[in-house]
Amino acid sequence: MDAVRDVWEFLTTGDNWRGARGIWTLTRAHLHISFVASALALVLAVPPAVWLAHHRKAPVLSVAIANIGRAIPSFAIIALVFPISIQLGLGLGFWPTCVALVALGIPPLFVNTYAGVAGASREAVEAARGIGMTEGQVLRKVELPTALPLIIAGFRISAVQIVATATLGALVGYRCLGTLILEGLAQPTAARDRLLTGALLVAALAMAVDFVIDRAEPRLVPWTKRVR
Amino acid sequence: MPDRSPDRHAIGLRNVTKTFAGSALPAVGDLTLAVRPGEIVALVGPSGCGKTTTLKMINRLVEPTSGTIEVLGDDQRSMPAHELRRRIGYVIQQIGLFPHRTIRRNMGMVPELLGWDGDRIAARTDELVGLVGLDPDLLDRYPAELSGGQQQRVGVARALAADPPILLMDEPYSAVDPIVRERLQDELLALQAKVHKTIVLVTHDIDEAMRLADRVAILNVGGVLEQYDTPDGLLAAPASPFVASFLGRERGLRRLALRRVADVEVIEGPIVRPSRTVAEALDVADEHGTSWVAVVDERQLGGWIDRAELEALPGSTSVGGLATQRFVATVGATTPLREALDVIVTSRSRMAAVLDGERYLGMVTIDQVAGGLDA
Repeated sequence: MDAVRDVWEFLTTGDNWRGARGIWTLTRAHLHISFVASALALVLAVPPAVWLAHHRKAPVLSVAIANIGRAIPSFAIIALVFPISIQLGLGLGFWPTCVALVALGIPPLFVNTYAGVAGASREAVEAARGIGMTEGQVLRKVELPTALPLIIAGFRISAVQIVATATLGALVGYRCLGTLILEGLAQPTAARDRLLTGALLVAALAMAVDFVIDRAEPRLVPWTKRVR
Repeated sequence: MPDRSPDRHAIGLRNVTKTFAGSALPAVGDLTLAVRPGEIVALVGPSGCGKTTTLKMINRLVEPTSGTIEVLGDDQRSMPAHELRRRIGYVIQQIGLFPHRTIRRNMGMVPELLGWDGDRIAARTDELVGLVGLDPDLLDRYPAELSGGQQQRVGVARALAADPPILLMDEPYSAVDPIVRERLQDELLALQAKVHKTIVLVTHDIDEAMRLADRVAILNVGGVLEQYDTPDGLLAAPASPFVASFLGRERGLRRLALRRVADVEVIEGPIVRPSRTVAEALDVADEHGTSWVAVVDERQLGGWIDRAELEALPGSTSVGGLATQRFVATVGATTPLREALDVIVTSRSRMAAVLDGERYLGMVTIDQVAGGLDA
């Protein structure tokens, strides 16, 4: 029970929350990079998936390529982008981490969007063409909205993985909740408070993001009745 | 015979052939077919006869390999496909409602595409609900919450939303159970009596075609038109053994089903007024060769009296005072002749009384029913 007490003490010490190295600042930075990475993943994954799926192009190949993002370790991507980022004058921590997170976030979004658009009710699509929609309207008014539940599910997986993995940013000098873990590593083994608190806060943040998306979903796709 | 004058066609197919890529034989071969404004035409045939392909060529979901198709007097290729389709209602078997839109917004889709304003769409939606007999409470639900029959009505309402002069229906009733199907068929006929659309309907069900269509085009494998005629014309004179076998047996009886009692002349029948005597009643029975007479007062059918009963009474007795038996063999003016025939053969009277509500119109006999086929 020492661990619980350590974490409790750390969290209830006001000084740990305040200031440039405090929990608030680290959490904000953690959310910031997660938000930027999720938004970029959305922009990079959804439009090509929608276009490819509407035209039924490269169903196997495109999904395989998107999945490479899953196969390459995020840490390796950070290491690869690190020197390039410095060369381009983009700094140490943020962009190398962000690129790795985007690569991590793309596959679930791409795969789900492709499946959602390609799997739109054939009858609804035939009816849409039959009543006089242009191809663009079929895509905008039928295929994309009916794919939305799957796209949201993909976004949810992406966002949770991104929040959990943003922790790695600490390794290349991006100050986020991972920094607490890193600082904990530097402490003597008996003092586990920082490491454990960092891990706990990252997990809590990921679950909070998951919860928010879960709550927002019925409002975004009111036609899907949930079976609970 | 198909009408050949071009100005009277709502839809005109001329030498239309469709050969799909990778197929040696055409799905539709050199088909010429005209549909007049305001009529229901059914395309029927076995699978592989190209009936659905033919339908989809009308709204350009399938492009013909050769030949021309005129819609409302214009070559269908004179405008973009999506504009053509907005002028033609389209109903498919699986209905294909948009799952993410409420019923109201499903119905308003074509007006929305045409750029109508919100008030006009709302007014039209309310009108459509009445037209297709849908419960207005369903308007704010989603398609998944509706039964098959309700969804089908919404599908028809969506097709009619912008009041297109033409309606294409691809096996519209094969996905619903037989009882709902029959009701929806009745509703279509009632609807058509109000809206007078030109309707082309594809079905594999010859009975459905005969029931709904003004004219039926029977197609054979490869899109070959075997015969194009009214249901009665087909049954009376099938053009080929294929048509005859496709129509099936009991063609005479099925022709009778297409006609009504009002189509044949009724006879006065063995009737007497209550003021007449038994002797007079017996003369009437003799005259008609029946073993009974019916008592009719001021066009009201009272009942019938057996001849044997009359013979046992003094000839001067007034018929009005006698007990009568209830007349069960009755039909209405709109009763199909086939049903009238059934009433006649199952009754002992060898004829049926024709009533308009309570009013006695006359008697119809088995000979007159059979004579209905000569008309």
